[in-house]
Amino acid sequence: MSLVRLEILRLMRTSRWLILGAVYVAFGLVGPLAARYMKELLDVAGGDMEGVVIEFPDPVPADGIIQYVNNAVQVGVLVTVIVAAGALAFDSIAEMGVFLRTRVGNVWRILAPRLAVPFLAASGAFTLGALAAWYETAVLLGSLDAGAVTLGIALGILFLAFVVAVVAVVAQWARTMVATIMTSLVVLISLPIIGIADVVGRWLPTRLGGALADLVGDATAGDYAGPAVVAFASLPLLIWLAVAGARRRET
Amino acid sequence: MISTTSLTKRYRDTVALDDVGLHVAPGSIYGLAGPNGAGKTTLLGILAGLRRPTSGEVSLDAESGEVAVLPDTPRFDPWLTGREVVVLAQSLVAPDLDRADEVLADTGLTDDARRRVGGYSRGMLQRLGIAATLVGKPRLVLLDEPASALDPGGRREVLDLIARLRGSATVLFSSHILADVQEVCDTVGILDRGRLLFEGPLKDLLVGSAVPRYVVHVRGEAEPVAARLRQTSWVVSVECESEGVLILEVASVAKAESSLARALADAKAIVASYAPEEVSLERAFLELTGGRKR
Repeated sequence: MSLVRLEILRLMRTSRWLILGAVYVAFGLVGPLAARYMKELLDVAGGDMEGVVIEFPDPVPADGIIQYVNNAVQVGVLVTVIVAAGALAFDSIAEMGVFLRTRVGNVWRILAPRLAVPFLAASGAFTLGALAAWYETAVLLGSLDAGAVTLGIALGILFLAFVVAVVAVVAQWARTMVATIMTSLVVLISLPIIGIADVVGRWLPTRLGGALADLVGDATAGDYAGPAVVAFASLPLLIWLAVAGARRRET
Repeated sequence: MISTTSLTKRYRDTVALDDVGLHVAPGSIYGLAGPNGAGKTTLLGILAGLRRPTSGEVSLDAESGEVAVLPDTPRFDPWLTGREVVVLAQSLVAPDLDRADEVLADTGLTDDARRRVGGYSRGMLQRLGIAATLVGKPRLVLLDEPASALDPGGRREVLDLIARLRGSATVLFSSHILADVQEVCDTVGILDRGRLLFEGPLKDLLVGSAVPRYVVHVRGEAEPVAARLRQTSWVVSVECESEGVLILEVASVAKAESSLARALADAKAIVASYAPEEVSLERAFLELTGGRKR
């Protein structure tokens, strides 16, 4: 049994793949439906609004993807952080860390599959959800620019790589898995707050999470060049920090 | 096989290891005994490369893949089966070997090998840990309290397993169960409050450290005999342990062997039996550590 197979078993036997897939695909299926039938849904749910009239513009194809991204990114990132922390915080139970560390000379061999498998699972689920949303949008609301959707999915995957790399760093410095999850979320939530200052915000990798929604609207690829470059550049740095943290750690 | 020089480990103000010089010969079974908090786990952690010493040097005559470590309470991903744990351990250290079923049988886990580890008892986890430790045929085995969680039958199996490693691997195991150390080990180290108080062959510890004592069984009143013996120059002390039983601490075994019979006769004792007290590791340990409880 290899360490890659160990991580695949972790995903399968703990049903984490199912949770990831369910979150993204469910939002992928529900998003375009919600966009198409929002007015009808509110009419049914709202009843008598005491004279208040809510008028919705007619839905456009971009709304289907926007609904998917708005819902899936937040919950999806939360689930991705939990899944990644479950794999990357391998020292949170010291005896399990000892099992690996005393058998694998280089911690990179331990970390690599724990980075790759959760990342691939999260990106696969995100892509499946996006494809489901794209298909349903085409059926219910009209066609989308394939180039924009493809680029948006690619940038979303890059964002998930950044998320997993952040968790990898935190996991090597935090003591417990809960601390890893909470600290990672704080870091990921703090970045957009820092990004309120536009001069910083336009470079932040966290912007990539919403790229798919913006690109099917009126944004251009150039709008995301900065965050994409920063995300690409930060990945090796984050992974280096994670490896350095794992090497210095005592169990 | 293992040599440390002036090994010291501090956790802020706490000295966990203080100037430890450990020497473990190749092929030996070395028992590291000490009370809780003596520094045994810290020392094993440093030898295993899991912790860094504050100062001092460690020399191991084994590559990292040839060293196997078993923590005191081994834990594994609960969704793996016992066999998968052992196969994983084997694939990481000795992918060319095929010993998983053999070591599972040796540790009595064949029937449970395909069950998930989450349902294992603590004793089964301990035996699984030993199986995962031995599957790669390591040259150096570091065991932290390997039998502490086991029932008497399980302890016997584990001690037999360790004894069978003699000659094929070097074993360093820590234990606070002195009977285990005394039974299996040929060399002993006594660690207390981070300091290595004794290191050497077990027989040297039993003979060299403990004050020589004799057990004398007499008929009738023991106290008058004890009072007379106390006046003898080479008798250090005499205690009436129970009715008719005297414990004599003597200055030297040789003197006692040559003079005890006459001294008892002079005391008009009716002697049922007398013999040197068999020194246990526990007694030697308590004398070395000043009577600190384990």
